[in-house]
Amino acid sequence: MHIAPFDPRALRRHIVRMAYAGRSAHLGCALSLVEILAVLFGAVMRYDRSDPLSPKRDLLVLSKGHGVMALYACFRELGWVVDEDVLNYLANGTRLRGVSEADIPGCEVSGGSLGHGLPVAVGMAFGLLRQQSERRVWCIVGDGEMNEGSIWEAMLFASHQRLGNLTVIVDANGFQAMGNTEEVLRLEPLAAKFAAFGFATVECDGHDIPAITAALHGGEDGQGRPRAIIARTVKGRGISFMAADNRWHYTRLTAETLAAALEELH
Amino acid sequence: MRHALSPLLLEAAEQDERFLVLSGDHGYELFDGLRTHYPERFVNVGVAEQSMVGIAAGLCRVGFRPCIYGLAAFVPMRVLEQVKIDLCHGSLPVIMLGDGAGLVYSVLGASHQCGEDIACLRSLPNIAIYSPCDAYEFRACWNEARQASHPSYLRIGKAHPEEIHSGPLLDTGPVVVCEAADARARGVVVATGAMVRIGVQCAREHGICCISVPRLKPAPIELLGLLSGVQRIAVLEEHVSSGGLWSLLLEMLQSAGVTGHVSVEPIGLRDAFTQTAGDHQHALSEHGLDNGQIADRLNRWLNARPARMP
Repeated sequence: MHIAPFDPRALRRHIVRMAYAGRSAHLGCALSLVEILAVLFGAVMRYDRSDPLSPKRDLLVLSKGHGVMALYACFRELGWVVDEDVLNYLANGTRLRGVSEADIPGCEVSGGSLGHGLPVAVGMAFGLLRQQSERRVWCIVGDGEMNEGSIWEAMLFASHQRLGNLTVIVDANGFQAMGNTEEVLRLEPLAAKFAAFGFATVECDGHDIPAITAALHGGEDGQGRPRAIIARTVKGRGISFMAADNRWHYTRLTAETLAAALEELH
Repeated sequence: MRHALSPLLLEAAEQDERFLVLSGDHGYELFDGLRTHYPERFVNVGVAEQSMVGIAAGLCRVGFRPCIYGLAAFVPMRVLEQVKIDLCHGSLPVIMLGDGAGLVYSVLGASHQCGEDIACLRSLPNIAIYSPCDAYEFRACWNEARQASHPSYLRIGKAHPEEIHSGPLLDTGPVVVCEAADARARGVVVATGAMVRIGVQCAREHGICCISVPRLKPAPIELLGLLSGVQRIAVLEEHVSSGGLWSLLLEMLQSAGVTGHVSVEPIGLRDAFTQTAGDHQHALSEHGLDNGQIADRLNRWLNARPARMP
């Protein structure tokens, strides 16, 4: 059993190195995810570190596929992605793309088109429940992504079918591409909405490792309710000049900003 | 043809424990047999076609072999992007049944009619597209789809109780349904789906050949052999000609280097929504495609002086 969360600083170093190498956007939405993934991979999910495709693994679906660099950072820690992948990120002909794609071992679902991952995760959980499998499904959605109607369709189904093996984690960083989520399309009260849909719902600080760990381990009531964890996060978290600054949804790193970021992550 | 579906669903459930059917709150008595004998194999996901496609993809990814059912106007049309990303991109063996394709839901208007599904799906990688004309073709297409390692779409058009073919088919390639080998110089009717019926009827009256095309993708290349030497072809479909079987045949002829000498007449839906209520034949009449209009058009086409050859 794996019990130590991954080191968030190490994950963030992988992310900024990749982003710089690939001149990639979507830094902010990867950085907000780091602690959630650090706990999932380090201390919660059941899987084989030597085999991303092991048949008994828990399934992690990154529905907000734009945050994929955080996932690749975890894969780098596990050796599923190597330095060559990081340094050549998004170079012509390389395998890792700028959103999660199902053909990359460890990425279970293609999440680049928002609102797709949760329905697929729900189908997986429904199937696993029918197979009476012990495997669990973890699905990370973005708060901006929750604008999509398919998310709410899938939530109805998950609750109706009593998918107690499904946990939906909202990376609630408060921003989407063009602004603050509350200003673009009001989502709050989000916890009340999940609860009204029949989810066992908790909120936590999405950067507080013990709080996330407690949230991810708790809440199984044995009555088959799917779980929702609303992780309150900060877009661009971990690098002072990116935190809560939505320009880093699109801004590319320069040699100078990379050096400054790595200095902070030392 | 539709009557063939219920027993095939039941048979699939019996044969394969991974098989199950998802519906977006459509189908009524179509699933009675399945629901009676295998109630757990039928899942009504509610009026939620988008998530239905994703759920089917998820089920497939953990080992099930789902079939998703809807009206063609909704599956695949409403959920085209889910089909592209959730099913085609991963090449998942999920079967889509699109019922009421063409103008079957004549009284319900544009929302329920579907004359564009083949054109849209043809552009997506990894998917097989079938447009069977009767229960025998349907079974052949269904069997092929169930064996496939990629997604498949079965287009179900207007139902008729009697069959076109006289017995089971070995494969899903194009089939001569009205033979007139010595009359090929006069022209050949190529048809798909529900339009094969009137195509055969007219071909018999005129003593010409009619070919049914149940599989549209992968391309029915055997058609080129059947049409070898034929210079006049009429393509009959309850689908817009552009992007449908007419386009497909032109593409195949062009790719094979058969150009210039062959004229291919489109007899399909026009580029317009239907305007008025009425029965199926009435809706088709707005497109010049009711039985009488088709007979007239084929008659004129056969009697037209052939274009002068270069």
